[in-house]
Amino acid sequence: MPEIDQLLERAQQAVGLCKTAGAEDAWASTSRNRSVEFTTRDGKLEKVQESTSRALSVQIYTEGRYSQHSTTDLRPENLKAFLDEAVALTKALQPDPFRTIPDPALFEGRPEVDLDLVDGGLGALTQAQRQQWCEAMDAAAGADDKVISTESTVQDDHYMAAAASSNGFSGTSQETGVWMVSSVSLQDEGDKRPSNYDYLGGHFLAELPDPAVVGNGALQRALVRLGSVKGPTGTKTIVVDPRAGGRLVGSLLSPASARSIQQGRSFWAGKIGQPLASDKLTIVDDPLLVRGFASRLYDGEGIAAKPMSILEAGVAKNFYVDTYYGKKAELEPTTGSPSNKVITLGDKDLAALLKEAGEGIYVTGWLGGNSDGTTADFSFGLEGHLIEGGEIGACVGEMNATGNLVDLFMALTAVGNDPWIYSSTLVPTMVFEGVQISGA
Amino acid sequence: MRPPTRRQFIGASAAGVAVLSMPSFLAGCAKDAPLETAVATTPANPFLTWFGIDQAVIQQVLSELTARGADQAELYFQHSRSSSLTLEDGIVSKASSSVDLGVGLRCVVGDQTGYAFTEDLTLESMLQAARTASSIAQAGGGPAIEEFRFVEHKGLYTLVQPLSEVGVAAKLPLIEKIAAQAQAADPAVEKVRVLWSDYEDHVLIADMSGAMHMDVRPMTRVWCTVTAKKGEETQSNSSNLAGRRGFDFYDQEQIDLLVKQAVDRTMILFEARRPPAGEQPVVLAAGASGILLHEAIGHGMEADFNRKGISIFADMIGKKVSSEQVTIVDSGIEPNERGALNVDDEGVKTQYTKLVENGVMKGYLHDGISARHYGVEPTGNGRRESFRHAPVPRMRCTFMENGPHTAEEIIATVKNGIVAETFTNGQVKIGAGDFTFYVKNGWLIEDGKKTAPIKDTNIIGNGPDVLSKITMVANDFRLDTGGWTCGKDGQGVPVSQGLPTTLVSSITVGGEDA
Repeated sequence: MPEIDQLLERAQQAVGLCKTAGAEDAWASTSRNRSVEFTTRDGKLEKVQESTSRALSVQIYTEGRYSQHSTTDLRPENLKAFLDEAVALTKALQPDPFRTIPDPALFEGRPEVDLDLVDGGLGALTQAQRQQWCEAMDAAAGADDKVISTESTVQDDHYMAAAASSNGFSGTSQETGVWMVSSVSLQDEGDKRPSNYDYLGGHFLAELPDPAVVGNGALQRALVRLGSVKGPTGTKTIVVDPRAGGRLVGSLLSPASARSIQQGRSFWAGKIGQPLASDKLTIVDDPLLVRGFASRLYDGEGIAAKPMSILEAGVAKNFYVDTYYGKKAELEPTTGSPSNKVITLGDKDLAALLKEAGEGIYVTGWLGGNSDGTTADFSFGLEGHLIEGGEIGACVGEMNATGNLVDLFMALTAVGNDPWIYSSTLVPTMVFEGVQISGA
Repeated sequence: MRPPTRRQFIGASAAGVAVLSMPSFLAGCAKDAPLETAVATTPANPFLTWFGIDQAVIQQVLSELTARGADQAELYFQHSRSSSLTLEDGIVSKASSSVDLGVGLRCVVGDQTGYAFTEDLTLESMLQAARTASSIAQAGGGPAIEEFRFVEHKGLYTLVQPLSEVGVAAKLPLIEKIAAQAQAADPAVEKVRVLWSDYEDHVLIADMSGAMHMDVRPMTRVWCTVTAKKGEETQSNSSNLAGRRGFDFYDQEQIDLLVKQAVDRTMILFEARRPPAGEQPVVLAAGASGILLHEAIGHGMEADFNRKGISIFADMIGKKVSSEQVTIVDSGIEPNERGALNVDDEGVKTQYTKLVENGVMKGYLHDGISARHYGVEPTGNGRRESFRHAPVPRMRCTFMENGPHTAEEIIATVKNGIVAETFTNGQVKIGAGDFTFYVKNGWLIEDGKKTAPIKDTNIIGNGPDVLSKITMVANDFRLDTGGWTCGKDGQGVPVSQGLPTTLVSSITVGGEDA
C-alpha cells in the first residue's frame, strides 16, 4: 500500500479507537515528514541531519465536550491506552454547546485541481550533490576580503498528511520542498561583525537557482550592511522592501479571526465594510495558488478551500472564522487558518517608488518589536538605508518605527509591481507616509 | 497540521538571529549544589523500562554510532508528556494532551556533526539512524563500552507529587478560582482567559564513555489574560507564572499575585501613552528586565558564535566591558526555575557560570564541541529543544548580581527618561550586536519622579555599547516569575532571567511626537 494510503488508514483506525473508547465523534490526523539538512561552513562539512518523523493527533467530541491530543508513541498497546485516557479526560470537562464536529456540508465542493506541490524526483537527491551545492554557495559567499565566515545549507523535505473523521471526512495531502540558504559574516570597523543571508527554493528541484546566485546574494546583502550608523529621529516616509513587507501585513492580519474578535482582542471587531487601510491595499487569501507555499484543497477542519477577499481597496471584507468561534459569534465558518495571502500589485518598481519618495527611509529588515492585536499599537526595530534624492543612501540601523497599524496602513500611498514570491505572503514594495521613526 | 514553516526556520537560523518570546503554548535564588546519586546497574532500571529498551540495545546502537570513529557521541532518549486546560467565557471546555517519544543520535568528529532521530524505538530503526548519523566519520572505531554507569541527577526540581498524578479534577477548581477572581477584580473586566499547562520530560542520555544520565524534568505554567472595556476603548494584557514546580506551588498567594498582575497591567493601559521618541536614559525595573542581559550579552557569549569568530564578543575575554558594579551570571542551578537543569542535554552537570565579573568579561557558555575547541571544561550549556535536535550552547537562568544603589536613588538621578517594567519579547543580531526588547508597561520619568504610565514601546541598542552605558545597579535583585522561551537555530528552550534595578544612561526608545 502506498505510504499516503497507510497514513489515511491509520487515521481511520484512530477514529475507530476513539469511538470504541466511548467518543461520540472524532477527528484524526496523521503525518509523516522525511527531512534532510546538509550544512557546510567555509566550504567544509559542518552538519548533516536526516530524519523521518511521524505524528498522530485526534480531536474528541462527546457529550458536548471537546479535547485534542497528539502522540508519536504509536505502539498499539500504548496508543489504545492513550486514546482511552483521552476520552475519559474529555468526559471530565465542562459541557459547551458550541463544541461540535465541523458540519459535513462544509466538506463539499473540494476543488479537484492539481496544486503541483510534489517533486517525485526529490528522493533521488544525493548527499554528494547537496555537498557540491553547499560548497559552491560557500565559495561565492566568501568572495570578499572582509568575509570572516560563511555557512551554507541545502534543506529538503517530503511531507505527507491524512485526515479522517467520524462524520465522513477523509483526505490526503503532500508536498515537497527544497531550499538553498547561505549566510555571510563580515568584519566591520571595531568589533562589529554584520551578517546577512539569502535563500531561494521551492517545491521542485528544477526551481533551484545556480548555488552561486544564493551565495553571492548573501554576500551582497551583508556588504551593504557595513558601516551602518544610527539614523535620525523624526516623521518620515518609509519604503518597505518586499522581503520586509510580510511582517507588516502579518501584523495587520493576525487579529483577523473570529477567535480574536469573539474574545475581545481584535481591532477588526465591527470593521467589516469599514476601511482598515488605504485604497491601495487589496488582499486575497488564495489556497488554490499553483505551487504556492500555503496551498491546500481543504483546511484543518476539512472545509473545502476557496479564495476569500480579506481587504478590497482597503475595506475589510472577510476574516478567518472556524466552526467553534463562528458558532459563538454567530458567523458562518469561512476557514479558521490563513493560506496564501496575495496582495494586488501596483505598476511601479522599487527604483521608481524610491524616486517618488525623494527622502525617507528604505526599510530592508525588522528587528524585534511587537504589536497589540486589541488596539493595533505597534513598535518595531528596523534597519535599512536613508533615501536621499530618490536614491538608496547611507546604511542605517538601531532605529524603531512606532505607531498604530490602522493609521500606518491608511497612510499607504503606493504598492509596487515586485512581489517577493518565496513566501506564502506575496508582498510587493510598500510606501507609507508620515511614520514616526526614532533613532539618534 | 504542518511542521514549522520553512520560512520561519530559515529566518530564525540563517542570519544568526535569536528570538526570546512567550508564546502561549511552547511550553521563564538560592545556590545549592545539585545532588548526584549513583544507582546500581540493574536491568530493572525504571528509565530503561520507560523506553522499552535494555543495556544490550543501547550498547549495540552506540557501537554502530561510533563504528567509524567519534570525538563525542550520545543517544538522547526522551519521553515527554504534556497537558493543558483552557478556560474561556467562564467554562473549561478545551483540554489538550500530548506524548512525544523518541531518540536523537549524534556523532561528532572535530567540529563536524552527524545527527539523526527516530520516534520508532525498535533496534532496526535505531541502527539505521546510527548509520546515518555516523556517515560523517571517516575512519577508525570507538572504544567498546565495557560497563555502563547509571547517574540519576536530582535535587533542583524533585516534586512532592509527580505531575502525572495530578488529575483534571484537581486542576479545574484552581482554573475557575483564578478566572472568578480576575472577573471580580474590576467592573471594566469583560473577558478572562486562563490557560494551565504542565509537562514532564523523562530524559536518558547514554554517551560513548559508558555514562547513562537520567533526569526527570517537570514544568508548569498558569496564564491569565484579561480584556477590559471602558466606553468604546478595549484593552487586554496578561500575566503568567511558570517554573519547574509542582501543582502545590499554585496556592492562594500565587493566585493573588497572578490575578493582580494581569488586571493591573491591563487597567493601566487605559491611561498609558507613548514616551517621546529617541535616545534617553532607561531605568530597567527589577525582575523581568533581565531580558536586557539575555539579548545584549547572553547570546553573544554562547561559544558556538565565538568559536566561529562571528560574535561581536569574539575578542573581548579579559576586557573591561562595563561598570565595576556589573557582574552577570548564567546559572543552571537555580532551584525550580524554568532555566534550571540538573544535567545538560549532553550529560554535563550544570553550574554557576560568570559571564562578566566586576565589569570584566570572564568566559563563554560552552557545549562539548566549543569546550574542546577552546581546551576548557564544558559549562553545562549544551541544550536542545527535544530529541529532534542536536544540542548547541544555550542560556539557562541569566541575571545580574546586586549592586550598591537603591531603586529610588536611581530614578531620582534621571531628569527625563522612562522605567521599563514588563516585556513581551526581544531579539538580537549576534554579529552586529544590535538587539531589541519590547516594553509592554512602564513609566515616564520627569524630574526624577515616575509620572505617567507608558505602553507598547520597542527599545533598540547595541550590546557592547549598552553594557558600557550601565551606570548604576541597585540592591533589589529578583528573578522574573513569568516564563520565557528562547529560540535559536529553530529550537525553543525554557529560560529564566532576572535583574536588580539598573540604569542605562542612553538607549533608543521607540516613541512618538519627538
